[in-house]
Amino acid sequence: MTTITTVKTVERRRPAGRSAARVGRPGIAWAAPAAVFFVLFAIVPLVLVAVLSFMSWNGIGSPQFVGSDNWTKLFDDPVLVKSLWLSVLITVLGVLVQTPLSIVLGAWAAGQQRNRAVLSAIFFVPLLLSATAVSVLWRALLDPNFGVPAQAKWLFGDGNLLGMQSGAIGVLVFVGAWQYVPFHTLIYQGAARAIPKVLYQAAEIDGAGRVRQFFHITLPQLRNTMITSGIIMVVGGLTTFDTVLILTQGGPGTDTTISAYYMYQKAFKGFDFGVGSAVALVLVVVATVISLVMVRLSGYDKMRSAMEGL
Amino acid sequence: MKRRPNYLAGLGSLVWLGLVALPLYVMLSATLQSRSDYTANGPLGIPDNLTLDNYTNVFSSGFGQYFLNTLIVTVAVVAIVLLLVPPLAYAIVRSRGRVTTGVFRLFLLGLAIPAQAVIVPMFYVISQAGLYDNLIGVILPTAAFSLPMCALILTGVMRDITSDLYEAMAMDGAPTWRVFFQLVLPLSKGGLSTITVFSALQAWNGFLFPLVLTQSESTKVITLGLYNFQTQYGINIPGLLAAVVVSMLPILLVYLFARRTLVQGLMGVGGK
Amino acid sequence: MKKRAWFPRAAAAGAALALGLSLSACGSGDSSGGGDGGKIHVLVYGDSANKVEKQIVAEFNKTSKVKAVLDTIPGANYQQKLQTIINTDQAPDVFFNWGGGSIKPFVDAGLLLPLDDFIAKDSGLQSNFLPSVFNAAVVDGKSYGVPMRGTQPVILFNNGNVLKDAGVEPPKTWDELLDVVKTLKDKGVTTPIALGGGDKWPTLMWFEYVYDRVAGPELFEKALGGDKEAWASADSKKALSMLKELVDTGAFGKNFDSVKYTDQGSVTLLAKGKAAFELMGSWEYSQHQTDNPEFAKDGLGYTTFPTIEGGKGDPANVVGNTNNFYSVLKKTKHPEAVADFLKLMYSDKFVKAQLGIGNLPTTTNTEKFLDTSASPEYSKFQFDLVKKAPSFQLSWDQAYPQSAADAMHTAIQQFFNGQLDADGFIKAMQALPTS
Repeated sequence: MTTITTVKTVERRRPAGRSAARVGRPGIAWAAPAAVFFVLFAIVPLVLVAVLSFMSWNGIGSPQFVGSDNWTKLFDDPVLVKSLWLSVLITVLGVLVQTPLSIVLGAWAAGQQRNRAVLSAIFFVPLLLSATAVSVLWRALLDPNFGVPAQAKWLFGDGNLLGMQSGAIGVLVFVGAWQYVPFHTLIYQGAARAIPKVLYQAAEIDGAGRVRQFFHITLPQLRNTMITSGIIMVVGGLTTFDTVLILTQGGPGTDTTISAYYMYQKAFKGFDFGVGSAVALVLVVVATVISLVMVRLSGYDKMRSAMEGL
Repeated sequence: MKRRPNYLAGLGSLVWLGLVALPLYVMLSATLQSRSDYTANGPLGIPDNLTLDNYTNVFSSGFGQYFLNTLIVTVAVVAIVLLLVPPLAYAIVRSRGRVTTGVFRLFLLGLAIPAQAVIVPMFYVISQAGLYDNLIGVILPTAAFSLPMCALILTGVMRDITSDLYEAMAMDGAPTWRVFFQLVLPLSKGGLSTITVFSALQAWNGFLFPLVLTQSESTKVITLGLYNFQTQYGINIPGLLAAVVVSMLPILLVYLFARRTLVQGLMGVGGK
Repeated sequence: MKKRAWFPRAAAAGAALALGLSLSACGSGDSSGGGDGGKIHVLVYGDSANKVEKQIVAEFNKTSKVKAVLDTIPGANYQQKLQTIINTDQAPDVFFNWGGGSIKPFVDAGLLLPLDDFIAKDSGLQSNFLPSVFNAAVVDGKSYGVPMRGTQPVILFNNGNVLKDAGVEPPKTWDELLDVVKTLKDKGVTTPIALGGGDKWPTLMWFEYVYDRVAGPELFEKALGGDKEAWASADSKKALSMLKELVDTGAFGKNFDSVKYTDQGSVTLLAKGKAAFELMGSWEYSQHQTDNPEFAKDGLGYTTFPTIEGGKGDPANVVGNTNNFYSVLKKTKHPEAVADFLKLMYSDKFVKAQLGIGNLPTTTNTEKFLDTSASPEYSKFQFDLVKKAPSFQLSWDQAYPQSAADAMHTAIQQFFNGQLDADGFIKAMQALPTS
């Protein structure tokens, strides 16, 4: 919690101009309905999860308090540590693959040409499919004997993609990108359209080429968008679940058992809700810390005061 | 100003088109074949005997009811999100209170809660509220879990409204609510359409909450209905994919009609 | 530093509220279901076999005053959902399960109604079912389930055309199997045996049969009873070395962990002649009838699992899924209606309906309807197999407690792909919880 407090202190420096105070500012009442609603249906269950993490419960009888047993069990568990690393790895790879793709596609789709509109519509479709459908489709496509690998042996060898760790992780990252790039493309497309045309016109007068324009105008102008989109990708990556369930089931061995799937295994296949809840909490904490760090580093948090301080 | 075509980006987009279109082709061609033809031709084959049987099966398996339920859930979730998030984001961006800062942090925390993690406590909360096997019981948590992302997106947009504009309104002596309705909302149209799409997709494709929180045929949603095409040990792939196509068509149609507004609205999500 | 305090305080308040909620939730098991007087809820695994269950419920409702309501739960998540609701007001009266380990925790928690009273009033509820199947739902000496779908023994399927082309016969012994595999490989069949290793449970079937043939069902019984040494016994090591030998000869090809049964990958290998064998539950037959009708007619063959020379197990033993069962919750308000409902599970109508969708019921009257089944010859083969088997070993992952299933699947996958050696596998199995 210390991080939070420090950030807060930075913000609290009031730019004590009386003119700013005259502008009507919304009070807490504006945030209250959403906050109450959220606390009731998300935070309360989360707190219950925290309570459960100190209990032994198979879902049937009454939960028994067991102190920190679940936690000691967990920290001795090599699979948990491995699962956290795998989660982070898949998330990082996901961001690295999705971000450049989304930016390029978004900047491209922002153009007004008619064919781009048609293509954008097709690009959008994967977003509409449920994760289950996406996974079933890709399973069929990646079958080593009847799918793409059988047609492109020069690329896939014997097609044992899901039978080895690197292949299985690659597939998860790729399928994740396939599914979510459209959403991020959409965000970047909107943002790219909002970049003032004059900037490009000025650059063109200066004789800057397209590549230079992209790196000197488009990218810097998309900075804020990258943060929003990045946070969404990180959170999405850390909570990847359905694709693992259907494509790899955590295998081969435990080589793609990422934390979200491990938690599901513990809680719902092993019916050890105590340990499952503890894994869930670890995941929430890790994801929250990463999002906070991103928000902090990027200055997303401070932007407001910066802007208002003027 | 006329610009020359961008070959590089064009080529990239064509490659991506291939990657997107191939699975979609597999999906469509599978749904137009009988199970035995699909197995004989393989996923990449060219269908020879086209049939619409898979689609008629979908409609005869109770999909109408599932459809209606999914629609109710989606509309309600979007309504709740649109009702709660704009004032929230407005307060986060404009309020000086310490409490609202705390609220923002709370929502950041919420971003990372996997629905899997809270499903058991959620079951108790909902059944204690007497909402088990009731669509309302699905709507409330689905909406709650869409809030953090929507709040993040919308605050990003509202942040870009400059203080000059607020001050101009203040000169006119506008009260807070008028600033909200006449300045903030119109300038956040982009964010509003993004969160509409986002929450609608969440609700439309939601699986876990309906699974655990409903039971009877009358409250089933489409995602649960897909299991009519599976057995304990196998999947009727053409049947399942036909159901998938049917279930995504409405959203695709909405998208195609609303595309122009949507993309224009998307201008400025997190950017300027 | 005042501002720092909000979080702990809020958290404490939240925890108090939450605890209150959870405690009240736990204590509410005895309150009335409210509003469904005169109804019994029947919860089943939701899949395409629901046709028959719907039919039987409709049949029951024709005459009964208490009406049955069928609730289907999407298959893959059935157990998750069941476990969530079983101790709450939302629990059903009657529910689908796999017998054995799948209901043990519910019995231990005192939630299930022993069916002894029902059987005392109508002995048909026991005597009309094959004993080896009925016994799979006996826990601690009491019956808790009535068979309600079809039996699914594991059978070695083959592609007769591939065997003919290679000039070989289906193997009767393990050594013959190794020879046949070698011959097939020499003739260019790269994957003599199709295996959906991506699903993990198809791999387990090989372990179940080889262990049973080598050591008899007793080894597994002992291990399940908590005797960890059983896994380290000489028989266990022998079984493992035989499995290892088979994998190492390339019998399953190189990419079996990327192939799945559930998306038709392995089935298609067999049907298209790229593989000669597949060890699979009896349901594979009807799968081929739908997906590969021509192959089902003139290529698909089936035999029992090969015998193993010097093995202690009876060669007539089978492994697989004995059947699915209906169990009854103690707190049902209409036990008489439930008993009447269960009696339908040995009715002629039920048997015919199950046979109609390719399931093989395990009632004693099944035999006289076998001719009405879609494929009488296959149904007879299967029924004889089950009827004559001295032991019908329930799949390991269902016999063990649910909490063991994942670690078990991981271990068998790792043994087949070489990530674990025999000692590592033995250790992994010894680490599984047994009760």
